Amino acid sequence: MLENILLGFQTSLTPENLLWCFAGVLLGTVIGMLPGLGATTGVAILLPLTLTMEPVTALIMLAGIYYGCQYGGTIAAVLIATPGDANAVATVVDGYALARKGQAGKALAIAAIGSFVAAIASLVLLMLVAAPIASVALKFGPAEMLAIMIMGLLTIISFSGDNLAKGLVMAGLGIFLSTIGMSSGFVEARFTFGSINLLGGIDFVVVMIGVFAVGEVVSQIGDGGVKPIRTRMRDMMIRGKDVKDSMPAILRGSGIGFLLGCLPGAGSTLAALVGYGVEKQVSPNRKMFGKGAIQGVASAESANNAAANANFVPTLALGIPGGTTTAVLLGAFVMYGIQPGPLLFDDQPALVWGLLTSFFIGNVILLVLNLPLAPAFAQVLRLPYRYLYPAILFFSMLGAYAVQNNLFALPVLFVAGVAGFFFKKFDYPTAPLILGVVLGPMVEKALVQTSSYADGDLTVLFKEPLSLGILILTVVIMLVPKLVGRFSRDRTAEAATPTPVA
Amino acid sequence: MRAFRKTTTAALGVAVLTLSACAGIDTSGSGGGLLGEFEPSERQTMIVPMSAGGGSDLSGRAIASGLEEVTGRTMSVENQDGGGGAVGYANFLGLQGNASHLLATETALVNLGLTQDVPFNWESFTPVMKVGQDSTVVVVKSDSPYDTCPDVVDAAKEGKVLAAVSGGATGNDAIQFGLIEKDQGVAFQRVPYESGGEAIAAVLGGHVDVGLTNPGEVIGQFESGDLKPLCVIAEKRYEYEELADIPTTVEQGIDVTFSQFRGVIAPGGLTDEAVDYWVDASKLYVKTEAFQEYMSSNYMQVDTAFGSDFAAYLKGYEAELKAGLG
Repeated sequence: MLENILLGFQTSLTPENLLWCFAGVLLGTVIGMLPGLGATTGVAILLPLTLTMEPVTALIMLAGIYYGCQYGGTIAAVLIATPGDANAVATVVDGYALARKGQAGKALAIAAIGSFVAAIASLVLLMLVAAPIASVALKFGPAEMLAIMIMGLLTIISFSGDNLAKGLVMAGLGIFLSTIGMSSGFVEARFTFGSINLLGGIDFVVVMIGVFAVGEVVSQIGDGGVKPIRTRMRDMMIRGKDVKDSMPAILRGSGIGFLLGCLPGAGSTLAALVGYGVEKQVSPNRKMFGKGAIQGVASAESANNAAANANFVPTLALGIPGGTTTAVLLGAFVMYGIQPGPLLFDDQPALVWGLLTSFFIGNVILLVLNLPLAPAFAQVLRLPYRYLYPAILFFSMLGAYAVQNNLFALPVLFVAGVAGFFFKKFDYPTAPLILGVVLGPMVEKALVQTSSYADGDLTVLFKEPLSLGILILTVVIMLVPKLVGRFSRDRTAEAATPTPVA
Repeated sequence: MRAFRKTTTAALGVAVLTLSACAGIDTSGSGGGLLGEFEPSERQTMIVPMSAGGGSDLSGRAIASGLEEVTGRTMSVENQDGGGGAVGYANFLGLQGNASHLLATETALVNLGLTQDVPFNWESFTPVMKVGQDSTVVVVKSDSPYDTCPDVVDAAKEGKVLAAVSGGATGNDAIQFGLIEKDQGVAFQRVPYESGGEAIAAVLGGHVDVGLTNPGEVIGQFESGDLKPLCVIAEKRYEYEELADIPTTVEQGIDVTFSQFRGVIAPGGLTDEAVDYWVDASKLYVKTEAFQEYMSSNYMQVDTAFGSDFAAYLKGYEAELKAGLG
């Protein structure tokens, strides 16, 4: 093991590889910041440019783009309530609330620290136990995935604020939107009215940008006379106490993110949503969640970063992509003439360990890059809103178009934006909507798979020990704190303070 | 993002120019001298009707950078995914007569027209080049009781065989299982998966009994012995050394063949000069080393056809598929 790590650092610490690692994480941060342009597209666009490089150098750079994106996606989420990358969707809730309180710098800094800790922790796991974990991940079949999806759906509770009914309505709307177009497992197209564009479905990234960014712009202008956010220097900087308070959230987020990231088909977005959802139930500071809790940002960010790294577990140990970006990276392996598969660790030790150790270096660079930049980026919010919102609208439109290079995204964007305005006006939480759009297809797929697998008998969920365990855990995490809260809380106080989320 | 992509393609263009200069191909002056009368615009676009990262995307990007090399013009790649390719093809329909756009095509070109209510079929476009095809391998986990494809069929006659199907209910997996079912009079219990990778994970995890895959995706699993190939759904065996031992469906008495072609189409309604230009450029491209390398590293079978020959191939393919799906 030690000699492998040494071998790895010998590869990753050459001046050339260091330089490309730096270039990769920097590019990743920028790509992550731009809404609509995510890690998968970024890596795919740059892939042809790397064909003349040494394979390990090219992979170091491309992987750098991938995890650099995880850091970059946070910035837009906190500053303008638009997740730059889909994985940052859960960050918006508390990140933007903190920004409205003048604490954007703090939110960005804890996101960077959380991401860093999660990355290092998951990397150590990846190095030590990639192969055994990958074979455990294979044990997750249709029933287990369905149980995880049920857990994901139950996080609606966490994202609904104090009004669960409104949260459920929004989640239902989201799931409905996700059913438009071709369905998994059936030939029939749904709700398309003969439109080819609807056959392609409503992309959740477009809905997300519309509801969050455009919706926010419409309501800010609707309110009239928006004042720039006042910030004090001491609110900008993160303090030791903040880090200490967030550490349990970061560790829990990392654990959840790592586990979900190992499962092909689960993904970092789900990891971030579940990480946040669980934290909101168990955190000592859970009452502040949705109103600007630093732990909310910490859990979501550490979960998505850990999941991004964990995606490499099936990718490197089995040659099966953990997610869409790692699928592009596997394609890159083949283009460089390297055969991915279970023998990769034995056949290409210099490449694998060079790549893995470069993650350490890349994440250190990202931390050093992001910590001082956090207060600097936060200054953007001091701009008068009349200068800020045209830029937000511009990037929203660009981002929505870039998702599928299709102009149909623009009407969807603006409909979602106007809807976002009304949601805000009538206190309907928007996060459950996004949760519904993201989880809808995943839940349906798991349901169809399980049903097919078990001849339509869904009690298989309770018969398989793994899925039963996941369900019990879900009930404990999601329902117990809620029930305890219900019995101990003063009912009049509850009625008097409705809290909107995001 | 636009600006960003422009710089990458510009940088690529420079790299490509240097490369082609080294290769001794004259790209200076007008493209007309080299490839006939037609003068293409400075900037070309290759549309990929699937999302970034899949097989279509990789082949589209490989072909685009190869065509850049031979034409000396920049060619950027645009993913327009959605609806199993329907969105990209439908938008392409709107580019009638536009010679600066190409589309990286595969079997969805024909499948969609046969299985979905879409406003196009393959005849709406101009076939330019077929680079070759992929045949599908039927795979099981190494400790599976099945050793041949007829074993799987027999098992389906007696009981339940779970089959992993990725790519949707009208995709290639579903079509191939459908063809086998029809030929053999059996039914598999289909479990849908989002991507080929997830389907293979399900086979490896023992959650389904059998899966389909392109060999390029699982060659590492064959080497390590985690996956067992049963048969290739084709008439002829693979020529690649690592795959030549896998028998075909026809050898094993299942009269089903299917191949997944890949290639390039242009919009309909082009002038003859424009069609000739792209066909000639394609012919130059398939002679390059980059092309050979792309095909062999992905274990694809080279079988080129251009222009009207490609159209004839598509016609035959469609007729066969229609008969098979019945």
